[in-house]
Amino acid sequence: MGIQTSDKPLLERVKESEQDKFMQASVAKAQDAQHIKREDSRALLGNWEQWRELGEQIRQRALKYLPDYLEQFSDNVEKNGGDVFFAATEKDAVDYIEKIVKETGAKRIVKSKSMVTTEIDLDKRLLAMNKGLQLMETDLAEFILQEDDWDEPTHIVFPTLHKNRDQVREIFMKLGYEGDNDPMHLARFARKFLREYFLQADLGITGCNFAVADNGMINLVTNEGNADLTMAIPKTQIVVMGMERIVPTMNDAEILDNMLCRSAVGQKLTSYVTFEKGQVAGETDGPEHFHVVIVDNNRSRALGSEFQSILQCIRCGACMNVCPVYRHIGGHGYGSIYPGPLGAVLSPILGGYQAFQELPYASSLCGACTEVCPVKIPLHKLLIEHRRIITDQRHMQHGLNNLMMEAIGIGTGFPWLFRTAVRFGHLGLKPLASKGEVHAENFIKPEGSVKGGPGLVGGWADVRDLPLPPKNKDSFRQWFAKHKANQPQPGDQKANQ
Amino acid sequence: MTIYNREAFLDRLSERLGTPRHQMDKEPFIHRNQLPEETLADLSSDELLDLAKNTSEALHVTFQVTDQTGLPAILDEYLKRIGAGQLILPTEPDQVADYQLQDWIDTVAKERTVKYWDPKADRATNLATSQDSMVAIGFGDYLLAESGTITVPTTPGQGRAFNFLPTHYLSIVKRSHILPRSTQVTKIYDDKIKSGELVTSNINYISGPSNSGDIEMVLIVGVHGPLDMTYVVVNDR
Ligand code: SF4
Repeated sequence: MGIQTSDKPLLERVKESEQDKFMQASVAKAQDAQHIKREDSRALLGNWEQWRELGEQIRQRALKYLPDYLEQFSDNVEKNGGDVFFAATEKDAVDYIEKIVKETGAKRIVKSKSMVTTEIDLDKRLLAMNKGLQLMETDLAEFILQEDDWDEPTHIVFPTLHKNRDQVREIFMKLGYEGDNDPMHLARFARKFLREYFLQADLGITGCNFAVADNGMINLVTNEGNADLTMAIPKTQIVVMGMERIVPTMNDAEILDNMLCRSAVGQKLTSYVTFEKGQVAGETDGPEHFHVVIVDNNRSRALGSEFQSILQCIRCGACMNVCPVYRHIGGHGYGSIYPGPLGAVLSPILGGYQAFQELPYASSLCGACTEVCPVKIPLHKLLIEHRRIITDQRHMQHGLNNLMMEAIGIGTGFPWLFRTAVRFGHLGLKPLASKGEVHAENFIKPEGSVKGGPGLVGGWADVRDLPLPPKNKDSFRQWFAKHKANQPQPGDQKANQ
Repeated sequence: MTIYNREAFLDRLSERLGTPRHQMDKEPFIHRNQLPEETLADLSSDELLDLAKNTSEALHVTFQVTDQTGLPAILDEYLKRIGAGQLILPTEPDQVADYQLQDWIDTVAKERTVKYWDPKADRATNLATSQDSMVAIGFGDYLLAESGTITVPTTPGQGRAFNFLPTHYLSIVKRSHILPRSTQVTKIYDDKIKSGELVTSNINYISGPSNSGDIEMVLIVGVHGPLDMTYVVVNDR
């Protein structure tokens, strides 16, 4: 698949996404459910703002000394008996993995969910190179997408958000399923079907949430158990990791695991958090041959640039779970395997402006993403930075702002975005603080204006603060209507002052 | 055991960052706060047990506490609930002795097939035994109160797949091994790995049964790993 999932213009994709009412309802439901779980779990932990500062510090430290930590990690993997391949490009990564597949004579590969392998289009490339090869995605959602002719994921944590149970049933019927559309029955079928594959698998491919520099172990955070079977059964394991996944120590990984689980799914820890490396003497399962592929694939473009902080990302998906634009257009609307605010910042870096110059405009710049991010990435500021570059250096048509706004219903007389803000309140919920009720005002700076706020009312690229809405949780709409009535309009006297 | 393409790759990153390599040790890394260590650190033993029970049960775990003498009866009752089927046990003689389980195992073996994860057997045999087992009874190393998590380092006698292939899973853990959070246990493992006291390729932190919300966000308990989970905490003081 690669990073880019569609070469249609953004506005066309948005229009297509709008037709998918099930997807829109699912995304809304997911956002609301995740909002409650995420905020509850963070509140229960307490001191969330300080946890964020710590998370940010760990990620910034890893990036600041990235070459040193990668060196330390690779030395330790080698000491533990594994191989490490540094892949500058996706081609380098795929070529190396193909070489291992050939050398080991692997015929049946099991994979656990990994965004970076989707990014380098690993599955399809391996299958194309080797006709006799069987390769199975074993995460339930990824399995559904694979069996649906490699459909695109729509979310980095919930890839099948756009599919309903009837569609899943139809997909499984092609594999021999005869039951009803009950999710439990469907999942049990997948369990049985995939267990057969697991037991005969000779090579496992996993991603890696964090790689521990000072002992060479990798850390995986999952819920289904498929990743652990992928690491237990086959004799060979290939770990594919983006180069920024590194952390200094096991405790740093564990701290981030706690933040990741709460931010992604509202759990204290997911069912399975695992630290692993290649088999040691006396053990009978686990990988005898352990390979780590460390992928750059244009991540280094962000290093030392104004975009470096995007590499702090721990792939929790929280930013898409609060994004009003994601809510409206869903994952496919972005045309990237990395959707939402994360994707709007990261995709142009990895895939270039040529392919993704429209994406930084797929944002209301409301700042909710920045507020919710567990490692304090200033997402909306990075989007503004992209826009600045696109406008200044690429002379892109400035009107895309307004076209996009119109296309998704923002910028009309009664902005859809604000209706959303009323309904959910959480768009601006200040994650930490709020011990009490959810207030729309929580996404407002103490001094009374939207944070760092590019104006919602004006143009996209304008950086203009909004006044403080009234202190209540139910009349954002009224506030907006009233406020708008008092606003100077283009051409009137006040506006020209 | 080879590292490919490293120097050019890291030099390029260093150039992008605008800083030379090998500077890390000049700036020791000190966390800006101690929240991971401090959170829940002041709980008493009883409070830890209560919290562990509550969080575990919220994860659909059956949570039981017993004295040493009550353990066989709890395990009997558990197996009765699970029904017929092969039982797999770890080859951990010290733990079996510690929990005084040998007599109980001998009795159970008269009624159902009891197999072991066998350090002398090969991969295929241990995987097949685990796959054919209806139920696994294993030893947890620690129990984390905050998250309802048992931790299990892989050993020659209790392999990785032991924890994942059997349909039902029960973990026995000592009450004195209840810790507040993952921070404490990770520190223990980190220290033991570095000192050479713990030699393992894999450490599992397991919080309840496997689950998924991938189909319409409906929670399904039991996906690829065990369908259900029971923790038995044994008073050991
Ligand atoms: S950018 Fe932040 S909120 Fe978004 S996925 Fe990454 S870590 Fe999570």
